[in-house]
Amino acid sequence: MKRISVTVSLNRSTLQFDDAAYARLENYLAESTSLLEGDPDPQEILSDLEQAVADQCTRRLRPDQTVVTLAELLPALEEIGSVQTPTASVAPEQATRGASRPLQQVSEGAVISGVCQGLARYFGLNVTALRIFAVLLLLVTGGGVILVYFALMLLFPYAPLESGVQPLRWLPAKSRALTEFLRAKLSLATS
Amino acid sequence: MIVESKLAPIRKGLLEFLVLKIVGARSVYVPDILRRLAGTEFATQEGTLYPLLSKLRREDLVKYDWQESDAGPPRKYYRLTDAGRAQLAALDEYWNRINHTIADMGH
Repeated sequence: MKRISVTVSLNRSTLQFDDAAYARLENYLAESTSLLEGDPDPQEILSDLEQAVADQCTRRLRPDQTVVTLAELLPALEEIGSVQTPTASVAPEQATRGASRPLQQVSEGAVISGVCQGLARYFGLNVTALRIFAVLLLLVTGGGVILVYFALMLLFPYAPLESGVQPLRWLPAKSRALTEFLRAKLSLATS
Repeated sequence: MIVESKLAPIRKGLLEFLVLKIVGARSVYVPDILRRLAGTEFATQEGTLYPLLSKLRREDLVKYDWQESDAGPPRKYYRLTDAGRAQLAALDEYWNRINHTIADMGH
């Protein structure tokens, strides 16, 4: 025995889908639901989309055909397109900018050189919690973490300084100068 | 291509204005709007239009009535509310002002 089709109720229409088309449809609707997160009235839009899918698929069925397959569903979804919310035009760009930000040291507001701030920003952690953890590590490793810090300080590039903010405090400025000095020495020694 | 992408945010922003214009001309359902925009710089898809219409309805600029169709389930026919009509007139006027500014610039 084999299940041939699933009966799907789409807003005001009822259609038969085969398993593959049903899975794709479920996926499309789940994706739309998550894209509409934050919209005050997602239910209305989802009903409209369901109706659009039903209309588009019905139009594509041959006269003798009763079950919707991927051959009808895929071009239908292509024509409907994925959900674009009217206000979301800026948000995705900001999100990708955040995600692609490299590991950097952040001098502004740094305690030493900005390694903790850079790590916190990259991994989305609370910087104070990370600093407390670093101090605990310092005690546990008997100072070994200082070497790690120093290595990271040499390895991580500095994030560009934001213009228009107050000048760096004493230690971050010194750390930055020291790092730059050591990097110059190292590149001289290796070249 | 470069020209198109430079003005992409403007096109996106103007879609709402154009949808108000289309709905303002006569009562329409979504495939009418899509057909009207197809082949223009503002061609769009249902995935974009439904969320936009939902927003316009929430802002009380458009409303819809159900109308029976010969084939298939009843359809939502959209038209402007009084607030929508006022907004469209204001947008039209502002757009004309912008066009004049652009035309005058560089003379």
